[in-house]
Amino acid sequence: MTDTPDDVTFEEALARLDEVVARMDGGDVGLEEAVRLFEQGQQLLAVCRDRLALAQQRITELTAQAETGSDADGAPF
Amino acid sequence: MKTVGARQVWAVREITDALGRRLEDLPSVWVEAEIQNLRQRSGQVYFTLNDVHQIDASMRGVLFDRLPQRPSDGGLVYAFGRVEFWAERARLSMRVERIEPAGEGALLAQIEATKARLAADGLLAEARKRPLPRLPRRVGVITSAVGAARNDILNNIWSRYPADVVLVDVPVQGPGAPAAVGRAIALLNATTNIDVIIVARGGGPLEDLMAFNDERLCRAVAASRAPVVSAVGHEKDVTVCDLVADVRVSTPTGAAAVVVPDKRVLEQQLAELARGLVRGLTRSRDAGRSGVDARQRALVSGLTGAGVRASARVRSCASRLAPSLERSLGTAAAALPDRRDRMTRAVGRIEAGYGARIAADAALLEALSPARTVARGYAILRTPESGRPVVSVDELSPGGEVLAQIRDGHATMIVKEAGQ
Repeated sequence: MTDTPDDVTFEEALARLDEVVARMDGGDVGLEEAVRLFEQGQQLLAVCRDRLALAQQRITELTAQAETGSDADGAPF
Repeated sequence: MKTVGARQVWAVREITDALGRRLEDLPSVWVEAEIQNLRQRSGQVYFTLNDVHQIDASMRGVLFDRLPQRPSDGGLVYAFGRVEFWAERARLSMRVERIEPAGEGALLAQIEATKARLAADGLLAEARKRPLPRLPRRVGVITSAVGAARNDILNNIWSRYPADVVLVDVPVQGPGAPAAVGRAIALLNATTNIDVIIVARGGGPLEDLMAFNDERLCRAVAASRAPVVSAVGHEKDVTVCDLVADVRVSTPTGAAAVVVPDKRVLEQQLAELARGLVRGLTRSRDAGRSGVDARQRALVSGLTGAGVRASARVRSCASRLAPSLERSLGTAAAALPDRRDRMTRAVGRIEAGYGARIAADAALLEALSPARTVARGYAILRTPESGRPVVSVDELSPGGEVLAQIRDGHATMIVKEAGQ
């Protein structure tokens, strides 16, 4: 397969997998191409499943609290 | 001033003049007050500015007419002007040059002005709103770590998908909030793999939501690298942040549904696609053609194995289907006698439909299996060590051993001579 999995986003992998299956489902695909599509489909499937497995419900907590000090103050006159 | 006996006695004029001099250089100031007793006379507008105390005020009619929002009695306003002393009557009054609505009125006016400026820069345009990624690698969440929205969002996200979250704690109201949210957006945009950002706050009165109508915050949202989901307040609260964000959801709870998919649904979809691949292969047009090379034959037989298992499952499912249909027919038969026949015909069609495909698979397997070739009197030569079929003479060397597999057994042979 031409693209390495990590620069293929999940959306692209899933969209292309849809295309591959649709192409194969058409039924008018020769064995040569069917085998090639099958292999490509398996790789796309692996990309999607790996991406799904990536998420581990980890949480990182940062803070961006307000700066101190205030604007104008003091009596009007 | 004159002295009468031991006393100093002043003229009224001297008193008022002295007061006038004291009150001469008072600066112009903004005053927040309620307008009352508004009346217009000979090119001037007169009114009083009230809170606990009260001061008379006036404004030139032409200035009053040009006010974008003209106040009315009882209106809360900000008035800008100078306190003047009218010596003749020893009266103080405020000479007003500008009036703006105060309180909710002012906030709404301020929001409209902010919207106008952002719209002028095209930041409210529908066309610039970006789609959200289907499966974000990391989700950025900007909200108060002690606010209700925080847990709402996390629980709702994780109930759908175990997303990795980077949460930035910010104040969600008060003067420091807009700058803090702006910094949080920059922080998240500089963090790796953040594919989407949620800006969230629970509900509250208009004053408490004003931070999300602040122009700086809205420009930071518009400039964000990652698309932004605005989840501020409740359904009825629409803030300017909602308008510049890529997606607006009415509550923090709703944010999860647009940001992460439901993992179960996604897994089912992938499983269906996997089945589609196998189905597609087994149905490919000339799978049985003889001119197919060894590598593909091996691959197809391996893959078809998967196909056969699928067909076997279909066969067993069809057979299980019949009895359950019979049972449901039994109970319905009394009421609608023809349903039984229709059901039976349906089972028949299912069986026939799959039957043909199953036969085709079996034929494909049969045609491809090596056993048929050997049965017709051929032998397969295999290397003694691995048992792999010999596919080229280069693998044979005089004096070397080779294993011949024949229909009804095998024999070990010594190679006498091997050449093209």
